Amino acid sequence: MKQIHVVHIYPDEMNTYGDRGNLLTLVKRTEWYGFEPVVHYYHVGEPFPKDADIVLGGGGQDSAQDDIQHDVLRIGDRIHKLVDAEVPMLLICGTYQLFGTRFVTHTGQEIQGIGVFDSETIGDNKRLIGNVAVSCTDFGTLYGFENHSGRTILLNDQAPLGKIIRGNGNNGTDNTEGARTRNALGTYMHGPLLPANPQLADGLLTLALRRHGVEVTLTGLDDTLAAQVRKSAATRDY
Amino acid sequence: MRKAAGTLIGKSASRVVRMRGRSAGQALPGLIVETLVPGYLGVMLTQLPEGVVIVTGTNGKTTTTKMIVEVLQVNGKRVLTNATGSNLTRGIISSISQRATPGGRLPFDIAVFELDEAYAHQFTNAIKPRFVLALNASRDQLDRYGEVDTVAKLIGDAMLSATDRIVTNADDPRLLAIAQQANVPSDYFGVAVGLRKFFPRDDELVAVGSPKMYVKAPSDTLAVELASFKGSQATYRIGKQRIQTKLEVTGQHNFQNAAGALALLRVLLPKVQITQIVKQLSMVQPAFGRGEIFHLKDGSKLQLNLVKNPASFRQGIASYVRPNEAVMIAINDKLADSRDVSWLWDIDFTGLQMSHVAVTTGSRAADMALRLAYDETTVDIVKPHIDEALQEFAKLPGDKVIFASYTAMLRLYEILKTKAGKKL
Repeated sequence: MKQIHVVHIYPDEMNTYGDRGNLLTLVKRTEWYGFEPVVHYYHVGEPFPKDADIVLGGGGQDSAQDDIQHDVLRIGDRIHKLVDAEVPMLLICGTYQLFGTRFVTHTGQEIQGIGVFDSETIGDNKRLIGNVAVSCTDFGTLYGFENHSGRTILLNDQAPLGKIIRGNGNNGTDNTEGARTRNALGTYMHGPLLPANPQLADGLLTLALRRHGVEVTLTGLDDTLAAQVRKSAATRDY
Repeated sequence: MRKAAGTLIGKSASRVVRMRGRSAGQALPGLIVETLVPGYLGVMLTQLPEGVVIVTGTNGKTTTTKMIVEVLQVNGKRVLTNATGSNLTRGIISSISQRATPGGRLPFDIAVFELDEAYAHQFTNAIKPRFVLALNASRDQLDRYGEVDTVAKLIGDAMLSATDRIVTNADDPRLLAIAQQANVPSDYFGVAVGLRKFFPRDDELVAVGSPKMYVKAPSDTLAVELASFKGSQATYRIGKQRIQTKLEVTGQHNFQNAAGALALLRVLLPKVQITQIVKQLSMVQPAFGRGEIFHLKDGSKLQLNLVKNPASFRQGIASYVRPNEAVMIAINDKLADSRDVSWLWDIDFTGLQMSHVAVTTGSRAADMALRLAYDETTVDIVKPHIDEALQEFAKLPGDKVIFASYTAMLRLYEILKTKAGKKL
């Protein structure tokens, strides 16, 4: 059976808003489609797993970001190699920020990122919190929840993940949400983004399989409940 | 002057609110008094000869406050407290104006209030509590608070405002650290090392590796330790004594909360034998919607449980799910529930597999069913309308249990209070 290696980075630090939901969704769907998911938890200071078909990173508290920022720089080269090799990644909130070029906290402290995304994040006192809908060319409409104090600006030609239909997204002003570099996706829609957006979960899985020369159209799972969730999400207020 | 004026305004406002069909003790009268008579809260409460006690923390405030209030009352204290769940400053002001004499006198010895951590700062600016009992700090309503560290800081503000003594949970690393830097002495309660696995810290709820080691207060520094529990029996170690008791409140989390209540009560009632206090506490009944049992007309029992966050849901499943019983889960997403339902993904629901999840309901009924689907647990009926869902659920044979988020619990309680045993 084809194995899919999912690397969940910093699960003990970056896990504030139900991030386990994304991992669980990927693991179960991989299984249900008849492949074998292998989960690797990557912790600060450890060697980065040799096999990485999908990389997941969650959102964390400000204090947690302090705990991992040096380690993110340490694994930066490896991450860049994986991005160049078209490995799909889903990076949420705090991890998304540290995968950008730099992050300036609202107290003025500057944190260097690894620049997978050409983006810069400025901390703010006011958090942006609410239900979000995003229109995304490759993955359809995405429904999620944002809760962040950072304002992210995409620099130069950095592509966003999608366009805001409802909510604030990257910064509340330019209607962009998230970022995409090759198959690395950064987003402020946290935690259980994948269960409510099974097409995105399947998209990541399809990209992972393609790298192994497996071209498949993933269909056949019963997504009735997800469809119900999406239907009510479509009309929800911010 | 302010005492009489504020009391009069509060009482009149409550009458108006009542006439318009809303239950008294709500926030509106308090808001009016707060606006028209600034400083009312402070001048009223300074009258109390034995001062003010605050109970705060993420989970367990209502039940723990009830335990403390009722034990103090049994010992002859006249206790002022807030209406169940009205734990914002305004709710407390409403309670005060309603319980005061028309001249603004408070005929009580002591006040014990449960206080929402978000209002701790506002409240303690008006009056400094003598004692603060802080139960725990856990991920909760992060759409309101942002992050767990913020929740802990708010609770910490309340703790550091205590003028006499802090009582806190030695197993909560964030609260322990705050107590250790306070200028007043602290008493600690905790659970025996062997029981730690039943009471995970916030970080352990979601950790996959070995979470960071925290300083834990050594067992012999605990004023009260939950030594063991089984069924409805709990054993506490208090000083050199081991005291075993049956508790009317249910759930392992309440055995832990009772340790906190006991640690505070032994300070508040220094002349009463601790064995006597334990006996009095053992008779306290559950607070409404917190493990409360309703008897249905077919003779079956239905237990209603508030769940607010990963910690309380996890404790609820561990305490209340019994083999083959039918379960209903009601999740709303109003502000008081948490508008963000991400927290449902931080709970391990595999404990539900031995039971039977018959219904999910509330505005997030489908989200809840989807969550369970990923733990390979199927749900029979997904019905957002809570009244209809309860109708169907009540028809099922045998004893039943409901887990409900805050506003869903209020609605279910409202229906069960009037219809259980009659129409249901």
